Amino acid sequence: MSARSISVLLITILASLAFTPSAAAQGDLAVVVNPGNPIANVSLGDLRKLFNGEKRSWPGGIRVRLVVRAPGCRERTALLQFLNLSESDYKQYWTARVFRGEADSEPFAAPSVGMVLEAVRVFPGAVSLVYVGDLKPGVKVIKVDGLLPGTAGYLLR
Amino acid sequence: MLRVSTTAVAFLLLAASLAAQDSAPSDQKTIALLVQQVKALQQETSDLREEMRKLKADRAAAPSAVPATETAAPQQPQATAEASVPESSPELTAAMHDLHGIQWGGFGELNYQALDQRQPGLGTYGFVPGSAANFYTGDFDLFLHSRLTEKTSVLADIAFEEADAQRYKLDLRQALLKYEMNEHLRISLGRYQTGIGYYNSAFRSAAWLQTTADRPLIMEYASNGGLLPTQAVGISLTGAIRSGKLGLNYIAEYGSSDTIRPDLDGSGTFNDENDGNHVLLGWFARPDWAPGLQLGGSFFHDKISDSEISLADRFGQTILNSYVVYVAHGIESLNEAFLIRETRLAAGAVFNIPAFYSQISRRWGRVRPFVRYQYLNASQRNTIFNDVGLRAGPSFGARYDFNDSIAFKAQLDHTQREGLPDLNGLHLQVAFTF
Repeated sequence: MSARSISVLLITILASLAFTPSAAAQGDLAVVVNPGNPIANVSLGDLRKLFNGEKRSWPGGIRVRLVVRAPGCRERTALLQFLNLSESDYKQYWTARVFRGEADSEPFAAPSVGMVLEAVRVFPGAVSLVYVGDLKPGVKVIKVDGLLPGTAGYLLR
Repeated sequence: MLRVSTTAVAFLLLAASLAAQDSAPSDQKTIALLVQQVKALQQETSDLREEMRKLKADRAAAPSAVPATETAAPQQPQATAEASVPESSPELTAAMHDLHGIQWGGFGELNYQALDQRQPGLGTYGFVPGSAANFYTGDFDLFLHSRLTEKTSVLADIAFEEADAQRYKLDLRQALLKYEMNEHLRISLGRYQTGIGYYNSAFRSAAWLQTTADRPLIMEYASNGGLLPTQAVGISLTGAIRSGKLGLNYIAEYGSSDTIRPDLDGSGTFNDENDGNHVLLGWFARPDWAPGLQLGGSFFHDKISDSEISLADRFGQTILNSYVVYVAHGIESLNEAFLIRETRLAAGAVFNIPAFYSQISRRWGRVRPFVRYQYLNASQRNTIFNDVGLRAGPSFGARYDFNDSIAFKAQLDHTQREGLPDLNGLHLQVAFTF
């Protein structure tokens, strides 16, 4: 291997080390909110209530806006496991909530992580689940049961 | 993070210089590009330092700002507040339903029901004495919702309900102005589904939402012969009660639930109950430690009449309900018990009508088999519900979801009836949402 190849490899490795989280944290799902949201921690129970629509406003009174990934995405699969629902049950669940007037619509299903992050940056009450490796500046990661992603005992992955 | 970035930049420079030592003249352009990128990174580091300095200064000036430890996970570069509020793209705004306007949806159904008696099971849907099998459309619901402000919205459920001889009745099943102060207080004004029991609140009038082809008799709409005041006009308050992991919620209603119900024998006789103003107090709990479990109960009180006897002869009507429901992991288990207590105010006579139903189903892929047993015992001496008597029996069937919008259901019913032959029925249904 030439010195140039080694240097390119070195650049790549160092860049990865410098600008990405640890491999262990990559598989964790971060709960992200708008930076203006004062919330810092959420319990696992409240997180479930947020994503099943039962908790509809933040402590400050701002309306919760759920942003989820589109069907088939790994974040969606993780969310459905977290809620103990199948894709069909999820759809039916939200149709019923809308029909009962408990929600405006089914949560916005973003086709890309970029759109998820944009929505969370833009809407004050937005909340979503993003894999740590996909995080970008402009959103705020909150603790779940007092733990941040990447720490021992963090349950969302 | 800045330290890590600076170290990385130093290594980048070292690596770039290593690359330069062994490079051919043709690589000079690449090296120059790398150097340019390193310079850009240095500039970015400098900018970030400046931004951090400003943020620290701002934070010092405003103690209520979010602490840094809450804005970043360890080893992550995200979670920095932006200097200005970003604007949403029109596509995103539309997708997030941030536009005022009316959103429409709907539910429909087509039914085929065959009975082994030439006597209908319910006073509804075009069944007349002498007809043993019928097609009918049931309810066709148009649902609309509009958000007026951040906390105020309007919803309506307009149902076209089939009556005799392909005539359709228009029924404004729900028409509500809703105000959501916070999660502890939500106010609804208008026509609502009463909070008696789980079924009435959970499924409303949409067959597509139900696993079974029909509602349990005790939860049937009064306009179809059901016993309970399923709808009312008035005010409804709901909200969460601070109860930690117990997940307690309350329901309080005050309204007019005036009801006219047809007799179940299809005779065409109607009873105008002339209800007064009802009071309902209810609660339900969704414990954090058992996702999918819901426990609840309610107390309902009103005064009604029996128009077949005398409108002046008033009855006190008290309805008690309790339920245990579990919906998760593809399992649906609905269990509700009722006690309807009618007290004839003039004579002091009391009639108790106990009722319950239990329904369980489990989803396997697109198929959801179900079984239900229901029981209802209205005293024949109770002149208001003397057409009902004792009714009990099981239902079996399955629901098949073609996709997220269309479902087919097949259901077999067996009903024992006091003073009447047992009733067996086949009920097929295509239900859809749009």
